[in-house]
Amino acid sequence: METQTARKTTKKDPRKKIIESYISHVLEHGSEPKSIFKFTQEMKMKEGDFYSYFTSFEGIKSAIWSQILDETLSQLKEQEVYPEYSSREKFLGFLFTWIEVLKNHRSFLLALYQKQSSRLGMIPTELKAFRKEFLEYSSEILKEGEESQEITKRPILSDRYGEALWVQVLFVFKYWMEDQSPRFEKTDAAIEKSVNLAFDLMGQSALDRFLDFAKFLYQNK
Amino acid sequence: MAEKLKEQESIPVSKVQRAAKFISTGAKVGGNYVKHYAKKIVDPKLEKEALHESNARDIYSSLSELKGSALKVAQMMSMDKNLLPRAYQDQFTMAQYSAPPLSYPLVVKTFQQNLKKTPDQIFDTFTRSAVNAASIGQVHQATKEGKLLAVKIQYPGVANSVSSDLKLVRPFALRLLNMNERELDHYMAEVEERLLEETDYILEVGRSREISEACSHIPHLNFPKYYDQWSGDRIITMDWIKGKHIKEWLETNPTQKEKNKIGQALWDFYDHQVHHLKQVHADPHPGNFIVQDDGNLGIIDFGCVKIIPEDFYQGYFALIKKDMLLNEDELNQVFYDLEFISDKDSPDEREFYKGAFREMISLLGKPFHSDRFDFADNRFFDQIFELGDRISNDKMFKKSRQARGSRHGLYINRTYFGLYNLLNQLEAEIDTTKPQWLQ
Repeated sequence: METQTARKTTKKDPRKKIIESYISHVLEHGSEPKSIFKFTQEMKMKEGDFYSYFTSFEGIKSAIWSQILDETLSQLKEQEVYPEYSSREKFLGFLFTWIEVLKNHRSFLLALYQKQSSRLGMIPTELKAFRKEFLEYSSEILKEGEESQEITKRPILSDRYGEALWVQVLFVFKYWMEDQSPRFEKTDAAIEKSVNLAFDLMGQSALDRFLDFAKFLYQNK
Repeated sequence: MAEKLKEQESIPVSKVQRAAKFISTGAKVGGNYVKHYAKKIVDPKLEKEALHESNARDIYSSLSELKGSALKVAQMMSMDKNLLPRAYQDQFTMAQYSAPPLSYPLVVKTFQQNLKKTPDQIFDTFTRSAVNAASIGQVHQATKEGKLLAVKIQYPGVANSVSSDLKLVRPFALRLLNMNERELDHYMAEVEERLLEETDYILEVGRSREISEACSHIPHLNFPKYYDQWSGDRIITMDWIKGKHIKEWLETNPTQKEKNKIGQALWDFYDHQVHHLKQVHADPHPGNFIVQDDGNLGIIDFGCVKIIPEDFYQGYFALIKKDMLLNEDELNQVFYDLEFISDKDSPDEREFYKGAFREMISLLGKPFHSDRFDFADNRFFDQIFELGDRISNDKMFKKSRQARGSRHGLYINRTYFGLYNLLNQLEAEIDTTKPQWLQ
């Protein structure tokens, strides 16, 4: 207890310190620490104290993802034009900013996720919190889109739009990890194209007309 | 959800997918030929033009989906009127007007990467959507302190896709241009070099400034001013040139005198560049010239500049000269230097190629042979087409074991044909000024 208060007065809060030590461990060793015991020993902290902030490494990673998201959103909202954006542009802006923030953590993320990037479908547990927060954010975008009629409401499907955007976020992440082009230009292009496609699909399309027509024929035959 | 992901990945981003796109076009073109010959059996009078037209449509529609350098090649082919049947040209000239625009968030991102600021922080106003599309970028209009500006932004990843796009275009070029493979590879290296230069916006600003200063004394020309502080790797900011594109301007029925004036300004511009600067704006595309309200000609886009090597210049224009004062030996040497003939040729081959190239160059040089030349005369252009057609179908050329003609000639020929073609559209009659030694 004594050490903790001492640290608090001299330095930043331990939660932040744990996250930073964890990141630097991964950067230096290319993998996570063997155990929480070893990790806390390394950073000269009592294992017991560690548990008052996190209970597992997953918890730390989860916090890092949330931090990245928070940073992205605050950077986005600093842009004056952001409120004027259409839903499509908001989501594009989100991804472009997100990728920029990710760039600052690229080595760390590559060390942790490069090997498992092929199993994209399996969402690691530490992404769950990020996913939840993202879905909250995307539901705002989607709601706005529906109001402005940029996005068409469809039975059943509409509820899955958020999920679709989430899958897109994972796709972009995976693409970015493998991107070798300077300044990750290809990721930019991939974002642009995939988001345009997604919003085109969610918008009013020939398929809606077709279904409407089919329904009409069915009901009136 | 898995299905959704697949759809996202199905945008032609990877090389394999782009290739697939081309292959499907290839199949279509092949199909068009089959259809053509099938119809021809029934109706022997069927024009080849019709076939070209349906080919051009299919090729164009796949090229326009690809953007970037493939589009650039299409445009270039559209310029090489000597090589391309008319039907292809019309389709290809459409190419520049229709690339899907960049989203505004990506524009903002590009600004932040290049200039560390957003467009709104730099300019007083900035259009949210592009006002003009170019093959490797798009143009936004901005204002700053009352000045109207044009801001050109490059598509991401263009520079990287140049080489792979060119490889993909190869089979088409082979077929369309009727070239043999050796010849094509020889040219492709040159094209690749120019295209890569074109993606270098810093180089472009430097060259634009250099050439526009060197040409500032020529009457009736106007060049935009370039702003370094708002330009970067992927962004160029310059004055907005108000006015009409040549085609639009012609629709306003200008007088012959006005047309001659614009034509003369064009000729002088190219004359000065080729003979004095030895580097030339090698993209005489109608979209790069704007007739302003005061009757001056605004010139934009110095992305494609060809530096003319001195020895190539000497040889090439020695052939264009009206009364060639060269004796047989000297002439042979020039043909040698320009790589029209080589040691590997038999004497017969040598005679044949010499004759063909002499005819080609003297035709191209025809406007140089008199003091005044009327470009409204379509007979001159028909002669060029006719010769181009004959050469591209000639057995000797197809069999040729090596590339013919210096690679430098590619862009010089393109520049001159482009210029002649513009002057033809203008129906201008002009004084074909030339340096003393060519008189």
